[in-house]
Amino acid sequence: MVDPVNALMVFGFIVIGLTALFITQKKIVNNIRRTQNDKMKMHVEDALKHIYDCEYKNMGCTLHSIAGNLSISSDKAAKVIAKLESLKLIMNDPDKIKLTDEGRKYALQVIRIHRIWETYLADETSKDELEWHDDAELMEHTISSEEADRLAASIGNPLRDPHGDPIPSETGDIPELEGQQLNTLDEGDTARIVHLEDEPAAVYKNLVSQGLHVGMDITVNKRDKEEVLFESEGVSRSIPPVYAANVTVVKFEASIKPESYKKLSNLKIGEKGKVIGISKACRGQQRRRLMDLGIVPGTVVSAEMVSSGGDPVAYLIRGATIALRKSQSEKIYIEERLSEVSN
Amino acid sequence: MSALNECENCPVHNLANLKKLGINMSEYDFVVALAGNPNTGKSTVFNNLTGLRQHTGNWPGKTVTRAEGGFEFNDKKFKIVDLPGTYSLLSTSTDEEVARDFILFGQPDVTVIIVDATRLERNLNLVLQVLEITDRAVVCLNLMDEAKRNNIEIDDRILSRELGVPVVPASARQKDGMNELLKYIHDVANGNYICKPHRITAKNKEMSKAVNRLSAEIAKEYPNLPNARWVAMRLLEGDQKIIDAIKSGDLGNITRRELTEGTEDYKMSV
Amino acid sequence: MSENKNKILTTANNLRWKVADDFHDSLMESLYLDASKIAGLAISKTSEKERFNLDKKIDRLVTNRITGIPIMFLLLTLVFWLTIVGSNYPSAMLASFFLDTVHPWLKEGAFTIGLPLWLTGISVDGAYLASAWVVSVMLPPMAIFFPLFTLLEDFGYLPRVAFNMDNIFRRVGAHGKQALTMSMGFGCNAAGIVATRIIDSPRERLIAIITNNFSLCNGRWPTQILIATIFIGSAVPAHLAGLVSAGAVVFVAVLGIFFSLAVSWGLSKTILKGEASAFSLELPPYRPPRILQTLYTSLIDRTIFVLWRAIIFAVPAGIVIWLVSNVTINDVSLAKYFIDFSNPFGLLLGLNGVILLAYIIAIPANEIVIPTILMLTVMVTGIVHVGEGAGVMFELESTAATGDLLYAGGWTLLTGINLMIFSLLHNPCSTTIYTIYKETGSIKWSAISTIIPIVMGLVLCFIITQIYRIIIM
Repeated sequence: MVDPVNALMVFGFIVIGLTALFITQKKIVNNIRRTQNDKMKMHVEDALKHIYDCEYKNMGCTLHSIAGNLSISSDKAAKVIAKLESLKLIMNDPDKIKLTDEGRKYALQVIRIHRIWETYLADETSKDELEWHDDAELMEHTISSEEADRLAASIGNPLRDPHGDPIPSETGDIPELEGQQLNTLDEGDTARIVHLEDEPAAVYKNLVSQGLHVGMDITVNKRDKEEVLFESEGVSRSIPPVYAANVTVVKFEASIKPESYKKLSNLKIGEKGKVIGISKACRGQQRRRLMDLGIVPGTVVSAEMVSSGGDPVAYLIRGATIALRKSQSEKIYIEERLSEVSN
Repeated sequence: MSALNECENCPVHNLANLKKLGINMSEYDFVVALAGNPNTGKSTVFNNLTGLRQHTGNWPGKTVTRAEGGFEFNDKKFKIVDLPGTYSLLSTSTDEEVARDFILFGQPDVTVIIVDATRLERNLNLVLQVLEITDRAVVCLNLMDEAKRNNIEIDDRILSRELGVPVVPASARQKDGMNELLKYIHDVANGNYICKPHRITAKNKEMSKAVNRLSAEIAKEYPNLPNARWVAMRLLEGDQKIIDAIKSGDLGNITRRELTEGTEDYKMSV
Repeated sequence: MSENKNKILTTANNLRWKVADDFHDSLMESLYLDASKIAGLAISKTSEKERFNLDKKIDRLVTNRITGIPIMFLLLTLVFWLTIVGSNYPSAMLASFFLDTVHPWLKEGAFTIGLPLWLTGISVDGAYLASAWVVSVMLPPMAIFFPLFTLLEDFGYLPRVAFNMDNIFRRVGAHGKQALTMSMGFGCNAAGIVATRIIDSPRERLIAIITNNFSLCNGRWPTQILIATIFIGSAVPAHLAGLVSAGAVVFVAVLGIFFSLAVSWGLSKTILKGEASAFSLELPPYRPPRILQTLYTSLIDRTIFVLWRAIIFAVPAGIVIWLVSNVTINDVSLAKYFIDFSNPFGLLLGLNGVILLAYIIAIPANEIVIPTILMLTVMVTGIVHVGEGAGVMFELESTAATGDLLYAGGWTLLTGINLMIFSLLHNPCSTTIYTIYKETGSIKWSAISTIIPIVMGLVLCFIITQIYRIIIM
């Protein structure tokens, strides 16, 4: 008979080996799959995106900014630029890096795939918002534009990605940038967030942890060198002005303060409330499901009972008793309690 | 366990001129689509009309694929298609896509919408959507027995007036109301009853402006299209099926039905 | 494409940039606005208070923090108890009819008309016996369990169970309704998997499908009870035997629930991360259950449906069981070859070659695993006067006799423990695998549902065995 101690040891080694293989598998597979050629393709596409971004935002683009953006050496960046030139994707101009029409079309194609994939992740999967960008960075070089078109069609041909960036159309049309940076708003201004910059990741992470999302209405209470203090969805939030520069907003013409928000999750059993709306952070299927259940502005909802576990809570919504989890009822905003129901 | 033709076994129907055809449908005069929310007794109505026994348990979404059957009434043969039970027709889920595409592209002669009388308001949401697509519909107000038990009274004449289509109170489990349902299906199919379906009033000004502008353009290109507004709304939601149908020209095949005898022969030869 | 058509699409696109952000929201709002206006006109009388009074009273009791969970356990235990107690007698009756009366009669008949021995073996001892066994063991518990379950469902109680249990299932990334499909799985995994249709969110439904096999189904309870009685019961003082062996069986079932939750958690964090998820749970009003209709539909929908699938798989398996025991090369049967070959591997896992072979060829239904094991043990050990011959499954009247036979086959307490674990953690039966394929339409998910439990079972048996040996030595 096999000695049990030895057997366990061999087993342990196998498990460790498999785990190691699993962890490094992505790298290995990528390395095997990505020949030198593919790597160049990635760099070329990433550089195109960067140059396009510079042009879109009217910023200068240099060899150094390319090297920085792609995290490669200047030598390598020079090679990438040479390659771009040889492919006639950028103009042959030593002073300025500028896209050719061909190059712009290519860049928009890559951007289109990236943004479609982000939208898909946000609307149809349970992936965390912090993972969207990195995942899309990989997919934009992997899936073909036909596949991306099919994916877009299956999720209703979205116009904007979850960060608020417009998705270029199949023919490469893209609308003008609109709005202003959050740190340029004055005290008392009311505006809607239309874009959250997802790079650099650390800043984006901070914005996300503050609960910011595209479609959110905000009112600025205070702005100085230290912080931008604003109120949104009934909560007061503060971010440094540098971070606020990564948030684009569109000011409301009439300075109306957003209605006073109260979350459905705050409703006590027996209380009633009138739905104002669903937070824009609730997207895709989740959002459509809630609306199908009758949660639209104007619907009167009353809290009926709490489950043994404390969550979910059942609500009476348009004649049916429907259980909602806290994570859902937190995203539904209601107006003042209309009246207390006896018992 | 497929009960192909159980007419000998099934309870004698009090309507002498109903003949249940099970799934033995080779040719037919009219196509009837069956739509409705989950758990409203859609399958019960289907079984009552066809004599089939669709058993997949009391689960929502039980009609996973389209079930088909048939019956004969007043010497006309009806093919009946049971669509998946859905709360809405507007989302990208497969069930809703199947249901909405069949009502739009399949052009059924009559769409029967089964409604749970105890939850009228939330069921009307789907009814109003169907009425945007088709102007040949019958609403079957099912579970009337349960509504009565719960002290809910519904005036079906007011409902019919507001919706612009026939409304038939029924309790499909007890086989109540099936006669009227058959009569109205027959009348709407034959054009004896002309529906004037309710159309949604857009709440948002910008939205209604956009829909009106687009549907005007669509109506100009497709003068025979009976539901330009719906097509416009779907385009504004980015529905790829509609975009493709415009590109391929299939949208032109959807036409208003002429209410003459001749069309029936046309239908049969399809 | 004509110019006008192009223009329509362009206009649509331009308009979308203006209105699309809120289009769907506004449309839904408009729809509900009209719906409530029309409903307000048409509903002429309603008294919501009265309507919800009784419902509310029941709900307050069954969703209460203190009484909710105990009531649920009480009801489910009652259902299981009724199933086990109620199916004993009909099962024995069916077995004595199909196995002790019809089987010899068929054999005699085959002999009379001069059927070749191999044909009799394949058809009567193989195909007939396997399917008869499946019917007699499976039919009674399912015919009791499913109608009872359906009654609770029809009454409207089951959604409340999902409501109460959702808190636990939410934490592992699953849906509260999985509590229902899991309970259903204790009756039959194939039926449990069909029942996952109630879960309308794709990701949660897949989790429920993949983990359903961890519910110890009807077909596996008898194995657990038999092995626990023989091996665990005998390892403790006699007066504790009954209690300890019953405790062991319950422990295995609870272990199954634990694995079900753990695997759900693992799945939702890894491979199912990319799947869509949308929660909703409606609590319908209570309805007086329709007894006759329930009996009819649950018999047709669930019992007959599952049984029919099981029989379809049992027939070829019966043939294979007979063939591997009777086809010989150099006077040694295929079964013996495989057992000798796999025995070292089986011993490493604390099992043996017989068990491994039995689990492979008895894949259609867990019910026939024990009869197959007994038949193979007799064949391997060469014991005479027991059993019915090569390839003919059998069961012994007394547990003690079964125990003697297994001890003679070299079984120990360790084999018993591991068989109980392996019976919980192994691939789903072929009926279930086929059902998973039918429901998901995907070979990938069917394969994953098959591989996860078997790998877990092999690893767990292996570790238990090595630790047991280190302690004992």
